[in-house]
Formats: sequence, C-alpha cells, structure tokens
Amino acid sequence: MNVAEKTKTIQPDSLIGKRIPKMDAPEKASGKTRYIHDIDLPGQLHGKILRSARVHARIRSIDTSAARALPGVHVVITAADIPDQRPIGVAKDHLPLKRDRVRSQRDEIAAVAAESEEIALQALKLIKVEYEDLPIISDPTEAIKPGAPLIHPEPHGADGSHEHLKQGMPVAYAGKPDNIAMRFDYGHGDVAQGEAESDVVIEDTFKLHYVTHCCMGVSGIIAEFDASGNLLMYSNTQVPFLHKREFAEYLNMDPSRIRIIQPPIGGGFGSKLDIYPFEVICVFLARAAKRPVKMVFSREEEFLASPTRQPVLLTLRSGCRKDGTLTFRQVHTLHDNGAYTSWGATTPFVMMQTFSSLYRVPHCDYHTTAVYTNNPYAGSFRGYGNLQATFAIEAHMDKLAEAIGMDPLDFRLKNAQEKGEVTGQGMSFKSCGFKECLTTAASRSDFRRKHRENIRNRNTPDPVKRGIGIASMLHVGGGAKIYPSDGCGTILKLDDFAHVTLITGASEIGQGSETVLSQLVCEELGLPISAVTVVNNDTDITPWDVGVHASRTTFIAGNSAIGAAKKAKAKILAAAAKKFECPEADLDLRGGFIIKAASGEPLIDLARLMRNLHFTEKAELVMTTFYYEPPSKHQDKGFKGDVSAAYAWATQVVEVEVDTETGIVRMTRVTGAHDVGRVLNRLGIEGQIEGGVVMGQGYALTEDLTIENGVMRNPNFRDYKLVTAPEIPEMDISFIESMDGEGPQGAKGVGEAPAICIAAATANAIYNATGVRIYGLPFTPERVYRALHGKAEKPYWKPWKPE
Amino acid sequence: MTGIERYVVPASLEQAVECLQQLGEVTILAGGTDLMPQSQAGRLKIKRTLMNIRRIPELKGIALDGDVIRIGALTTISEIMRNDLVKKHLPVLAEACDHFASDQIRNAGTLGGNICNASPAGDTLVPLIVLDAEVELASKPDGKVYQRTMPLAEYFVGPGKTRRAPAELLTGVRIPLPPAGHVARFFKFGTRPALDISAISIGIAGILNQGVMTNVRVAFGAVAPTPVRALHTEEALEGKRLDAATIESVANVARDEVKPIDDIRATAWYRKEMIHNMTKRMLDHVAQA
Ligand SMILES: Cc1cc2nc3c(=O)[nH]c(=O)nc-3n(C[C@H](O)[C@H](O)[C@H](O)COP(=O)(O)OP(=O)(O)OC[C@H]3O[C@@H](n4cnc5c(N)ncnc54)[C@H](O)[C@@H]3O)c2cc1C
Repeated sequence: MNVAEKTKTIQPDSLIGKRIPKMDAPEKASGKTRYIHDIDLPGQLHGKILRSARVHARIRSIDTSAARALPGVHVVITAADIPDQRPIGVAKDHLPLKRDRVRSQRDEIAAVAAESEEIALQALKLIKVEYEDLPIISDPTEAIKPGAPLIHPEPHGADGSHEHLKQGMPVAYAGKPDNIAMRFDYGHGDVAQGEAESDVVIEDTFKLHYVTHCCMGVSGIIAEFDASGNLLMYSNTQVPFLHKREFAEYLNMDPSRIRIIQPPIGGGFGSKLDIYPFEVICVFLARAAKRPVKMVFSREEEFLASPTRQPVLLTLRSGCRKDGTLTFRQVHTLHDNGAYTSWGATTPFVMMQTFSSLYRVPHCDYHTTAVYTNNPYAGSFRGYGNLQATFAIEAHMDKLAEAIGMDPLDFRLKNAQEKGEVTGQGMSFKSCGFKECLTTAASRSDFRRKHRENIRNRNTPDPVKRGIGIASMLHVGGGAKIYPSDGCGTILKLDDFAHVTLITGASEIGQGSETVLSQLVCEELGLPISAVTVVNNDTDITPWDVGVHASRTTFIAGNSAIGAAKKAKAKILAAAAKKFECPEADLDLRGGFIIKAASGEPLIDLARLMRNLHFTEKAELVMTTFYYEPPSKHQDKGFKGDVSAAYAWATQVVEVEVDTETGIVRMTRVTGAHDVGRVLNRLGIEGQIEGGVVMGQGYALTEDLTIENGVMRNPNFRDYKLVTAPEIPEMDISFIESMDGEGPQGAKGVGEAPAICIAAATANAIYNATGVRIYGLPFTPERVYRALHGKAEKPYWKPWKPE
Repeated sequence: MTGIERYVVPASLEQAVECLQQLGEVTILAGGTDLMPQSQAGRLKIKRTLMNIRRIPELKGIALDGDVIRIGALTTISEIMRNDLVKKHLPVLAEACDHFASDQIRNAGTLGGNICNASPAGDTLVPLIVLDAEVELASKPDGKVYQRTMPLAEYFVGPGKTRRAPAELLTGVRIPLPPAGHVARFFKFGTRPALDISAISIGIAGILNQGVMTNVRVAFGAVAPTPVRALHTEEALEGKRLDAATIESVANVARDEVKPIDDIRATAWYRKEMIHNMTKRMLDHVAQA
C-alpha cells in the first residue's frame, strides 16, 4: 500500500473547459444566501421616499409637519433640510432631493426614516405637496423643436432676471438653454464619396423601446455612520470603488472614510452602475437620524425608479455595390435621455463601434443627440446600446443583400472582419472568429436551405408561417478603457494547509466570476476548486477594480488572478527546489503536490511544504499581489483608438413561427456561435448564454415598459411581460475558440454578447416568414398583426443633429 | 394600519351566513389571490371583519347530484383540473383551468373567488357560461338558511360587481350534465402562453349532429365590463350546417357584436379582429373534428 502510494504518479489534468458548478449555487439554491433584504442592523430605521405625484411641475410648498409628528418617525427630510446636497450623475444635472421642480414621475421630494416600514409609509401619506403643473414633454422629437419648454431652464430670480451663475456650474444649478443633454459625433472616410460609389442606397428609421432590467433582487441600501463619522454602506453596486469616490463628492466627505460592503447581489445587468438618488438620500437619513437606515424598494418602486434601457430613434442610411461590398453608413440617432442624464446617454460609445466596425465599412458617419424629456431616465443595460445598433444594421444587411440579389449569408461573409484588421475607428482585431461564427451558426441551423424554403412557403394557406433570421455582433471582450485605469487587483494568500484565499476587486453579481477566478488560480497552483475561498465584497479589504461592466471581469480580473497565482507558484517552486536540491524547472504543482515535472511523481504535499516554509528560522508565508492593466488605449477626442484588449464576436440564428391570424410570434430555436476566445467554465458560459438569449427574447417579443405622457402604465410583472419558461426556445450553442493571445487562458468576455443579436435576428426571421419588415420593437402580437395587415405606421425621423 | 377589526373563521355554512347577516361589513377571504394583491394596491379596502371561509366543509368538493355536477365554491383551480368527473363530462372547464395563471396560483385560487371577483377576464367564467352553469347563493336573513340559484350568465353586473347581496355567500356552481353530441371549446388569448391575463377569451358550446349545431352557446371574455353571452352570434350559428360560409358569417357577426375597449393589453380594433379570427378558427376545428 505504502509502496504503491510512493510510486504513484499524478497525471496531468486541467480545470479549463470543465463543467464547474457555481460556488455560490448551494447557498442560493437552498435559500441561505443573505441578500440585502435579509440584513438587519441593531437600531436600524427604515427609510422611504415620497415621489412626485406629477410628471412636470413646480413645487409650490411641502408641508411635513404631520409626518414629523407621527409617533415612530425619527427624521423627515426635504431639499430644504439638506442645503449642501450636490448634483449626481454623468452630467451633474440631478439633485437627489428636488428643490423647486419635479421633472419626472419618479422624482424624489421627501424622505422619512421611521421605526418600521409601515410607519414610514404612513408618514409619506401625511406629507402635503402643492404643485403647479408645467407642460409635459414626453416626445424627444418635440423636445428639440425651437421654443420647446425647457426641462432644465436657467434659473431666474424672483424679478424674472437671469441669475448670473459662475461659468462651469453643473446643469443642476446653471440650467441649460436647450433640451440637449449630450451629443456624439464620429466619422471615418467620406460618406458622400461612399454614396457616390454605391449601386444601392437604402434609408430607414428604427424605433427602439423602453425595457428595464427586472433584477430578481430589488434595489436596496443600508447606511450607517460610526461614532467617528465614518460611513459604512451595504450596497448592491456593481462598481464599489468608483462609487466610493463619487459618494465622497456627493456627501462632501473624505473618500477614505467611506467603506462599501456588497451583500450578495440579486442581479445587476448594468442597473447598478450609477448612483441613484435613493442611495444618497438614505445616507442623508442615516446622518440625520444618527442610526443605521435601511431602504429597500418595493417591486413597483423598482420599476418606477430604476433605470431603463436607452430608447432610441435611429435613422440609418447605407449603401453597397452590386458585388456585395459595403460602401458607407450614415447614422443619426435621437436618444430620449429622460429628465436626467445617466449612462444611457453614453451608449453611443458602444453603438458607434458596431456601426463603424462590425462589418468593413470604408465610410461611416455617426451622430447621436441625447435630449431631455419628462420621461424616466435611461441607464446602462447589458449590451449598452449594442442591441439597438445591431437591430438597425442587421435589418439593412438583409435589405441590401435582397436588393442586389445576394444570399444574406454570403453578403455578410463578404463584409465580415477578419483577424489582423484595424478598423476605421482604430479597433485592432488580434483574435477574430467572426467568419467561423457565421458559418457555424448557419450550417448548424441549415440557414440557407430554410431561408429559401420559407420564402417559397409564404403564400401557402397555412396561417402559421415559418421564418429564419441571422444577425451578428461585435462587442468589447477585453475590458474597455474609459476610465484612467481599466485594471483589477488581486491579493492571494495560502495558509498552512494550502487553502487559498483569493481577494479580488472584482464583484460577483451572479455572473459566476468567483468560480471562474478560482478556477484560473487552481489551474496555476494544481489545486481542486474546493481549495479556494473568495473575498470580493469589501472596499476596505479588496484591491481596486474599475467595476463589473463591459463584459470585462473574466478577462481583466482573470488575468489579475493568474498574475497573483503565478507569483505564488514561483515562490512555492523556489522553496521546493531548495528543499529537493534541484532546478525549479524540474518541478511543478499538481493534485495538491509538488511533483517532478517530467514524471508526475509527487515529492511532498503542498500543505506540508507551506508549513515547512512557515515554521522555520526564515518563517515565510506565501502571500502575493498583482495588478493587471490591459494593454488597451483610451480613445481620442474623435472616439478613435483600440479601446479593448480583445473583441468578442457572435452570430445568432433565430427561428420563428408567425401566426398571421393572431400576430403571435413563437421563437422555436436559437442557434448561436460565440467567439469567446476559450471556454473556461462550460457550465457557467452555457448559463450565461442561455440567460442572455432569454433576455434578448424578452426585448424582442414581450417586454415593453409603456410610458404615456411621462407616466409608466405597467410598473408590475402582470403587465410588464417577462418571458416565462414555456416560451423559451430550444438552443444550440457552439463555441468558437479563437484563443486570444492576451486573454486569461485565451478567453474573452461573454457577459453581454448573448442578448445582443436576438431582436435583430428575430426581425429578419419575421421578414423571412411573412415578407413584412417591422421597424419597431417589441414584436408583440398586436404590433405584428397590425404590420401584417398594413395597419402599422412605418416610423420616420428626418436625420437631424444640432448645428 | 389596515382597518380590520375582527377576523372570523366559521366552521360551517350556517355560521358563515350568520356572520354575514349579523356583522354587516364583512370581506370574504377564500384563496386570497385576488383579495391580497388588490388590497395591497389600494384598489380594494378590506372591511371591518375579515372572514376566512376556508374551513367550511359545505363549500368543498365536486360531486354528481342527479344530472347536475356541483362544484363547491372553495374548490381550487388545480382540483378542478385534476378531477375525473370534470375531465370526463366538462373537459372544456379543465382546459380553461390549464390556461389559468401558474401552479402556485391554481393551488390557492378557488372557483368561488374567480366568480365573485367578477373580472371580465376571469378564465372559468366563459366556459361555465356556455355550459349553462348556475350559481348557488346562501343567506340567513331571519334565522333560517335559504338557498337560491341563478344562471351564471345573469350574475355579473360590472367589473367586480355581481348580483350577490352583501349577506349572501356563494356556495357553489351547478352544471347540467352535457347531453350526447355536446361539444364545447375554449380559447384564451394572452400575449404569452403562461401567467397572462386574457386579452380576449371565447367559449363556444352546442350539440353537433351531422354537421349541424343546435343549442348553441357563445360567450366572450374581456370584451365588455363583464363576461358576456353573445346572443347574435348564437343565433347566427343555431341550426346551421358548419360549412365555410356559415363559419365566416358567424365570425363576422361575432366581430360586430362585441364592443371592447382599448387598454394596456390590447386595442379595441385588435380585440375585434381576434374575436373574428379565433371564432372562425375554433369553428373550423369543430367542423374538422
Ligand atoms: C399572479 C396571478 C395570476 C392570475 N392569473 C389568473 C388567470 O390566468 N385567470 C384568472 O381568471 N384569474 C387569474 N388570477 C386571479 C385569481 O387568481 C382568480 O380570480 C382566483 O380564482 C381567485 O380565487 P381566490 O380564492 O384566490 O379569491 P379571493 O382573492 O379569496 O377572493 C376574490 C373575491 O371574491 C370574494 N369571494 C371569494 N369567495 C367567495 C364566496 N364563496 N362567496 C362570496 N364572495 C367570495 C372575495 O371577497 C373577493 O372579493 C391571477 C391572480 C394572480 C395573483
């Protein structure tokens, strides 16, 4: 027995590409995870916010006396109680508590901290607000007309004179002379020349609607000041380090006195990328009450007061030659900013990449104007503008192909990017599996045959028509350098029993980062995944990371974790080489042992070696740190530059059945091919893609946040329709492993990718089935039925940009 | 913070109707799947007494009573769906239950609750109307328990409003055993196959003999303030041979007969189109079967 043990060799093994259950799955599946709802601090009060009863109005007066007098109420605050509040958000146009004016239905007017939620809600009912209604602007095309009422007018004194404010004051104080919140203008080449060289030119307007994230865990925060005035927040943020700095600004505090702990987060999808008024208000309440204050949204509040995906009106003009070469693309978009500016306004960063670089386009001209209205404001949402851009582009890819009589797949293959290309926007494709994505998804779905057959069957008597549609996407897959650093830090320690603690800046929001990062570390150290504990949710412990966005965590935090693990391995092997008096190169780590690299023969188990190292004269521990900064570049003023260290590609083919007598579109099958660089956790990536497809399906078919004259009509799951289990299509997913040179073990980001093409491919599939193209989303039965019966108005927006 | 002063749980029908008579301001609680969301949303105010009727044995069970099937008011949607009598004699009702909400709601929601909630989109109402169901109502006005019955088609007055008097309890529904040759169909149109409120629903029943429909019943849901019987549509179909021309003309009558409204779920125009197209499709299926 002993003899056999000694001579046993340990075979090489790898965790990469295996199906590894998520580390947090047992806790979540057994209901043991403590989300923010489950956390209660001793002495805690409950905070609630009074929101506007009007869409656009002047606030004449607020009377909180009855609310203050209610037993159990500790604090009631309005803007008047917080004279030092500062504007929040991307454009600093948003005061958490509104002063003299409400600009949207969600606007915060007052807040209460009380002994219980019930008392706080009761107190809200006792607050009396007098309003004077102002004209409502809910159509962005109206908001840009000369003379339109202003959402953020420049403040005037009591005598009507303009209050001259200091130059460079934020919009929240200085106002704006028009309703234009932001603009983006990009170009390469010369579109006039491109148009002159075109055999076919088409122009269409697309109308993309409001949807929202619908995280299972609603928004929440607990804020607490300690006796020395240090602030601790339990927060669901996706970007703790950026928020620490921003909160400091908004609260006029030293950032080093702010600590953020993230309880397990019940879904993010981009919704937790900005600071919202409720978070700042909760801190105000805690400061005033000198008690911890907890604020958790109701579901209805979650709908009303969390951000939406960016609604977009987009006019696209494109051309090609008879031989199928794309010639130019000209894009004008009108982004409905809502009343305030959050990340939704900045989605052009991503949209223009798709227009300029998904396919080879020699001439491209792109303009976005984000305008203020009295609607809900848009934030970031998985895909960040790419769903909208891809929807328009892929419709035109089909239309151009049809116009020149070319097969839609051949047309795409002819214009698809390849490895080694540098696009007009300066993106450099060091790995690129795009063509393989196209051919794989097409062949696995039998795209060409079905596409032809469906067209032939359009006129058969069967009311149910079958359709197949294809669409592809390009997205950043190696981070995105939009902040001064796009890096992530890791601290790694091994204890006396060779148990690893991986301390990473990267947050877990359900995407499975803990598991993938542990896997990458274990791969280096030759340990089973059970040997790792991950610490990732406390700004006082974890090293800096820019945050969970841009599909970056596996790539950036993965490389960072590998860096720390490699340093630990080097230290371990050096110690072992000394002990066994051999060169380090002869040794390796495998199966929890130091082994002879050549034979796999175990020399000593890692835990023993750790103790040897620790309990000797020299007394050493293995603790390493690493900071990974990707080799990407900041874009220049013209939005050019290689902004990501790698780019991800995907093609999705959607098959539908369209019931022409009801307009019901049933999604029957999705065939996806994703260039993910390399599959790290197969189980994790399949889950990520399946979830993303379903999110894309909801965007395409059922989800529709209805806003009428600034009022949300369906802030509940009865009328806001998420996809339910029986509607989920069969899926066939292939992975194209392009082995990115910079990626961790060759991997690239995949977080946002699977949601991006579904709506675009569905539009093409409906056209394939029926010969009718629908330019607006979602494809709900009534919209489809109207379109099939010629009762739908085709959207048209005359291209426009500010002078 | 609610205004509830008293909670009662009667153990018999007699006690329940006694309470209703004596206490006056009573809100009845069955499965709570309408009551709870509506009161939370502030659309319904629970009265001073909340009466839980779930322990009343007389309100439970499905039984054959001569040539009538009686379904107790407390029977859950799941129980109806799985019941052998229902599956054998009233398959259209089982089918409607199969399109109802989700398992969780079906396990809690009751038939009596669905009827008394009186939503124009209530999914058991349209099939029950075309099955000629009657409701049973009990009360105890003067120390004695009285029962009365009324055709379900006449029970509804408006959204949430019925002919039930405040002191009455709905105890069950009575459905005559369908005769030989009886066919009945139900169609629910929602925007998704599960967990959806009907944008329209259609029930069609009658006796089919050698391609001719008689004793025709047609009812529509979600096209008026209450579920409605469509008398003109019935007339257009009564005694007719189910051929393509009849089907088309019946579908046209149906479209003209309904006066729906625009709401968040659908426009009136679309509802009328669906009434036409789906009435036609259902009759096509009956004709082909
Ligand atoms: C998520 C969800 C999905 C739903 N989906 C559907 C659906 O697909 N189709 C559908 O039709 N409905 C649906 N509903 C509505 C609801 O589930 C049904 O109407 C259900 O049948 C109500 O039964 P209940 O026992 O829960 O009624 P309760 O909520 O207990 O009562 C409803 C009303 O009837 C009164 N009442 C109850 N029983 C009696 C009685 N015996 N005598 C007198 N009055 C009485 C109550 O006072 C109350 O006003 C849904 C509800 C939810 C929450």
